[in-house]
Amino acid sequence: MRKIEITLSTVLNDIRAFYLPKEWHFLSVNGIDLGEGKIELQWIFSKYGVKDEVVIYYAISDYDTPIPSLVSLIPSAFMGEREIVDMFGLKVEGAERGLYLDEDSLAHPLRGES
Amino acid sequence: MKKTIQIPLGSQHISLLEPIRFKFECENEKIIGVDADVGFVHRGVELACTRSFEFKQVGYVVARVCGLCAITHSLSYTLAVEKLLGFVANDRIKYLRMLMVELDRIHSHMLCLAHTAENAGFEALFMQIMGDRELIMDVQEAISGNRVQFDYISIGGVNRDLTPELVALIHKNLGLLTDKIDALIGLFDNNWSLSLKYKGVGVLRLEDAYIYNALGPLARAAGLATDVRAETSDFPYEDIGYTMILESTGDIHARNFVRLREIVNSIAMCQNIVNNLPVGEIQEKAKGKPNGEAVVRVEAPRGELFYLVRGSGQNMLDRVRIKTPTFSAIPAMMEVFKGSEYADAPAILASFDPCMSCTAK
Repeated sequence: MRKIEITLSTVLNDIRAFYLPKEWHFLSVNGIDLGEGKIELQWIFSKYGVKDEVVIYYAISDYDTPIPSLVSLIPSAFMGEREIVDMFGLKVEGAERGLYLDEDSLAHPLRGES
Repeated sequence: MKKTIQIPLGSQHISLLEPIRFKFECENEKIIGVDADVGFVHRGVELACTRSFEFKQVGYVVARVCGLCAITHSLSYTLAVEKLLGFVANDRIKYLRMLMVELDRIHSHMLCLAHTAENAGFEALFMQIMGDRELIMDVQEAISGNRVQFDYISIGGVNRDLTPELVALIHKNLGLLTDKIDALIGLFDNNWSLSLKYKGVGVLRLEDAYIYNALGPLARAAGLATDVRAETSDFPYEDIGYTMILESTGDIHARNFVRLREIVNSIAMCQNIVNNLPVGEIQEKAKGKPNGEAVVRVEAPRGELFYLVRGSGQNMLDRVRIKTPTFSAIPAMMEVFKGSEYADAPAILASFDPCMSCTAK
């Protein structure tokens, strides 16, 4: 597993430069609450046909900063993006609440403070 | 301008095993747009894993995510924690874990095949496959002590060893099943009614499989050569006769055939495991508390199951991220529906083998 730190403002460009659909399998978007209002966002990839090759791009953000969507680059990313919107109460460009929770729910269960 | 109508499928529907709701935008009988709602059985398992249970208990909690692939959930979590503890299982433990995972794959694939037969209106075949599936359920129950929630894998090993009586039962039931699967392959390949329902229906093109990150049998049926068993080194799958099964047409027929041929391969692997079981303890000490971050990928019956576990040297973990196969397959599923006939939707859906219990976790 390789971890590569990026900034939220350049995530789309960084992943566009790296991602080739026939070479890399997009696993998911992930969030990890770091406490004190900070959150680690992860975009996880594995390489087709290569053993144990997992790459995680990550960026540190806070709860309120809008997060760029990867859907224009990776159409299947909308599921993971909707999940972190529900679970952490984050704002992801174009992603709506209501994947798991009610659309009008105010909960964000995986935040450390909740 | 053509008029379109919206037709819902689910969340409760005669063709569904589990709750999911599709909203189809249809032009006459043709589906031109799809929306999916997958969250009906959300249970907050990820939250429970970090707030309610200590790391030694979590393996038994995540097994409850799914009734069909419980063993792969507990295996994935256990492997992640063992990586954080610096523990490497001996070969006997690895072989016994592979045995249960492959048995799980056989019965899960058979459930899917039965369900697709039912959706083609072939009730008798559904009953026949479900009856044959009991051969594997009996073996799993005899090995683990449980029929569905096996709780067989634990941190540091497995909870039960094979006895000579169990080995005899495994050989007997796998032998019986081999003949039955051979007959099923002939039936699925040649039966006229099934061909009408399956061949050329619900096609996922290879290009779309890449674009929408398809996985598991769904991807392999479209010709995308991906299988976690070939892409990780946690288990010696090459030593027990693993072969990647690929088809090319990407339709329901191809998905059925990937599953049928994988059952044949899994039966051979199980026989090889039992015949070449290494000597060793089935439970070893894995000391310490998880500290750091580990990722694990395991090939569940529906495709790649992914776990990310982060700990900070405490009994309670910081994060347990579960990414299930059906969750990742939803975008590809939605793409396949577009352009299909509405009447084919139940059969197409069944051929994806969706597990909503996993997806919503």
